[in-house]
Amino acid sequence: MQRRDTVFRALADPSRRAILERLTRGEAAVKDITARFDISQPAVSQHLATLRRAGLVSERRDGRLVYYRVDPNGLRPLIDWIAQYQAFWLERLDRLQASLKEMDE
Amino acid sequence: MSAKAETQSISLEYDLPHPPVKVWRALTDPQLLGEWLMVNDMRPLVGHSFTFKAPPTPWWDGIVHCEVLEIDLHKRLRYSWRSGPESSPLDTVVTWTLTPTPSGGTRLALEHSGFLPANAFAFDGASKGWQRMIGQGLTELLARAA
Repeated sequence: MQRRDTVFRALADPSRRAILERLTRGEAAVKDITARFDISQPAVSQHLATLRRAGLVSERRDGRLVYYRVDPNGLRPLIDWIAQYQAFWLERLDRLQASLKEMDE
Repeated sequence: MSAKAETQSISLEYDLPHPPVKVWRALTDPQLLGEWLMVNDMRPLVGHSFTFKAPPTPWWDGIVHCEVLEIDLHKRLRYSWRSGPESSPLDTVVTWTLTPTPSGGTRLALEHSGFLPANAFAFDGASKGWQRMIGQGLTELLARAA
């Protein structure tokens, strides 16, 4: 679940979603992305770092430039319903047991 | 992907030190059920339609649409569980089975069934939400990754 939370937090920001969407059309360096968005280069770098920590984006160094691309594996936690519900039910059934303890017979 | 793809289930079993009558109440009384699962308007009547509501998120409206499919008092409760981003892509069934144990407790079994195989289903389910959220490009990428 923690892995998913990181992914969702990364995607909660509209600028990061826009950057990710841009990267789905091909890899790009920070300056390519900055040119397309109304945000500063340091801000873009920070968004990319967040996306990278969430596993949504991977990077490739070429000389002094770093190119970013989408890592589709990073999206798997979002689309695996079985894993989501397994974790959901385990957590809820713990709560059920706590509720039962507090209920009258 | 075949529409008749085999489905997958989640099965969990718990031994609870409480009698089935009490466990049944926790599963069917909307107030008690809301304490540990989600806010709901459940009534233990076959055919009753109800919802569970969780706080909405950017990718999910937080609503689970249910219909009571089977009631066997203090023994078995089954309801449909439909949810997911737009157009109800998750079409599943939740079954609770309560079996008394010799010590006066309950063996509680949960089966959540009807999940289509992870990738095919997940992609189908997630795609519409994703299209709205971050555009067609990512959806196509997901299709290739699946």
